[in-house]
Amino acid sequence: MNRLGAIAFACTIVLALVLPQFLKGYGIFLLSMWAVLSVAALGLNLTLGYAGQVSLAQGAFVGIGAYTAALLMQAGWPYPAAFVCSALLCFGVGWILGYPALRVQHHYLAFVTLAFNTLVFLVLRNEEWLTHGTYGISGVMRPVLLGWSTGKPLAYYYFSLGMMALVAAALWWMLRSPWGRAFVALRENPIRALSLGLDTRRYTLMAFAIGSSLGGISGALYAPLVQFIEPNSFALALSFNLLLMVIVGGSGYFFGPFLGALIAVLLPEWLRVTEGYYLLAYAAAVMLMMAFFPYGLFGMVERALRAMRLKRVPPAPTLKAERTRP
Amino acid sequence: MTPVLQVSNLRKSFGGITAVDGVSFEVHEGEILGIIGPNGSGKSTLFNCVLGQLTPSEGEVRIDGKPTTGLRPCDLNRLGVSRTFQLLQVFPQLSVRNNLILAGQEHQGTMASRLFGAADAGLGGAAAQMIEFFRLSHVAEEPAGSLSYGQQKLLDAAMAFMAGPRLVLLDEPAGGVNLTMLASLRERLQTYHAERKATFVVIEHQMEFVMALCTRVLVLAEGRVIAEGLPQDIRKNPVVIEAYLGH
Amino acid sequence: MASFIQLLVSGLATGAIYALIAVGFTLLWQTSQTINFAQGEFVMLPAFFVLAAMNFGAPFWLAALIAIALSIAILGVVFKLIIVDPMLKHGVLPLVISTIALSLFLKEGAKDFYSSQAQPFPALVPAIDLHVFGAVVSMQSLVVLAVAIITVVGLHLLLNQTRLGRMMQATAQNATLARILGIPVRRMVLYTFLINGVLVAIASILISPIYLAKFTNGETLGIAAFLAAIIGGFNQVRGAILGGIILGVLDNLSAAYVSSQYRAAFPLIILIVVILWRPQGLLGRVEERTV
Repeated sequence: MNRLGAIAFACTIVLALVLPQFLKGYGIFLLSMWAVLSVAALGLNLTLGYAGQVSLAQGAFVGIGAYTAALLMQAGWPYPAAFVCSALLCFGVGWILGYPALRVQHHYLAFVTLAFNTLVFLVLRNEEWLTHGTYGISGVMRPVLLGWSTGKPLAYYYFSLGMMALVAAALWWMLRSPWGRAFVALRENPIRALSLGLDTRRYTLMAFAIGSSLGGISGALYAPLVQFIEPNSFALALSFNLLLMVIVGGSGYFFGPFLGALIAVLLPEWLRVTEGYYLLAYAAAVMLMMAFFPYGLFGMVERALRAMRLKRVPPAPTLKAERTRP
Repeated sequence: MTPVLQVSNLRKSFGGITAVDGVSFEVHEGEILGIIGPNGSGKSTLFNCVLGQLTPSEGEVRIDGKPTTGLRPCDLNRLGVSRTFQLLQVFPQLSVRNNLILAGQEHQGTMASRLFGAADAGLGGAAAQMIEFFRLSHVAEEPAGSLSYGQQKLLDAAMAFMAGPRLVLLDEPAGGVNLTMLASLRERLQTYHAERKATFVVIEHQMEFVMALCTRVLVLAEGRVIAEGLPQDIRKNPVVIEAYLGH
Repeated sequence: MASFIQLLVSGLATGAIYALIAVGFTLLWQTSQTINFAQGEFVMLPAFFVLAAMNFGAPFWLAALIAIALSIAILGVVFKLIIVDPMLKHGVLPLVISTIALSLFLKEGAKDFYSSQAQPFPALVPAIDLHVFGAVVSMQSLVVLAVAIITVVGLHLLLNQTRLGRMMQATAQNATLARILGIPVRRMVLYTFLINGVLVAIASILISPIYLAKFTNGETLGIAAFLAAIIGGFNQVRGAILGGIILGVLDNLSAAYVSSQYRAAFPLIILIVVILWRPQGLLGRVEERTV
């Protein structure tokens, strides 16, 4: 299985690097959008797939990140500084929001984040003195990094791809550390974890805050990509979309969000054939998916591989006396 | 000598039902206290109150003289208290080795040291020792979910011991385990107890196990302590026999 | 003072409708751990059933009955059998996702198959104003209040005074125990879904004259349902009623006295405050987890 995975991984990298050379502007834009939204989906996967918390506010964090980056750049800040600011601000807001919210029962976070997302949207829409309200912010510049201009579509694509890879690598490193083990424990058996000294509240909060900061990073990448941001892009619909990305890809699987984001970005194009009924078809597809593949595509793949492996290796004969289950 | 564990007038009610009704007892260092009683006598509720899983309605719990009533289980773990579970609670997707490392990693260091330190939090050696001690070497890299029931029970105990606790509460460790494995489990527990001078409190139904393992026995019925003493005396105590047969 | 009474009465009327929606939501949660994110759309939809039936020539009263029946059948039975039951065995999260997808599905369905324009909806009574204590109170508000109160009282009587109702309550409090006592748990759960179907249909008929039948109604009504249920106490039906009324009154008062741009923010802030300071809601019980 590992060999298969490695081959698939290598192919994906090659495709990601080479394919855009053959695409026109819109295709490159879609791929860039995929890279940018993958970051947000990675963050949400940490919160949902690893720490088990349903967050409906990831869209709001993307919005906060986007507006922070855009406004700071308009004020003359260099892009790296604005970028870092977005990430830190969203981490902080995530921590403040999560701190009290995670002390209560599981399902409440879904509602708190739902309310928070709507509140953020209202603030973005109403506080015109800061955000230009419904007029949005236009003319967001693409950064020039160490002399290299990311203005052209292809250049910005490689930039977002590179950032996505950096974020993914950092996340991978974190999940390999004892924190990763703790997150798995949190997901599999929080009660046992608690009795083993694992501060479930602290780890859940950390996952939520890091996830939110990844949302902010995604926003800081989003703003220069689309170069015009307005409040409507960051309403509940985006949060739902990101949630679906994580679920469809496979919640709790490291590569799930990438697949989910790809599907979410390409789906409107594929479903164009349904002409306007696209959202209806999407919703129906998700419901069917939940009925048959609730573990998402990667979950499906894992199950299939496991089934294949079991068929290939005959079970060892067991006369183990210990197999007495109550 | 301050008792390791002191429970005073513990009471826990759920709505109209009082599960634990004014229980008091002490456990001194090195003891193995058994808690027995018919079903519904409040043993598990008592455990959950001592361990911070539930908040008692009244009463106090002290560990080494310090009040710990209402502390969360993770804080208690850092004070040197550990537990095993009645219903198996290992982490099925992690390997046996990783289960053990997990069991120890939160007991030491800080969040930061866990992020930037070694991938096994420096516990590779301790985990290997525990694997040896509980004779799980041949399954050390297998996912815990694939172990047999008895092996998972051993892993459960091993995890409880990883942090080198002073006080271990075992919740029906013998439940569902066949005789061979049972003897093995009891022997391992006794060896650990002798080597580390730990203190155990054991809830159990199986009389033979209790009699063989425990130094003192407490009997609960309907949320109250009805007898306390040496195992052989408890066995013959008419009040105790009545409580079991009367149900 | 006169305008205050006006606002209070219309607030009570809106609040009563919110209460109906919240009660249905809470019942579903209590009996089957179903968090129905589509509850708002469940209230949006029956209005379109009524309009469709009327388009086929049915008089209003008949259309309303048809809508209630369709609601029971589709939003009650079909919802439970086709969506909830298969999902529950996978856990709560897939069900939450499904209901989110369902809300999108119903919303788009109404938009695509009926209309994206807001539709006028016939009121129960002509728009007459009464003068009470110098304040102008619409007959509409009073009738809404009356219907809502009757429904709630009826529900209360059903749950508390009938054998069926007590069985349903037992199922909600402890399904395992109820099963042991011989209560047909699956059927009881089905009944709560049917009741929810009735409640959302009535709420729909009451609120659509005011809000107009729009496919976007579900968003605001859904949030109102969650807020009311949580504020009142997620595990208590009485709490849902109280939460709904408080929400309705506050909503109306804030519309008058607070800036209209942030009107929607007010209930959201209350939600956050309640969850943070008193998560069990005003009337709820604190739930504990044991091992």
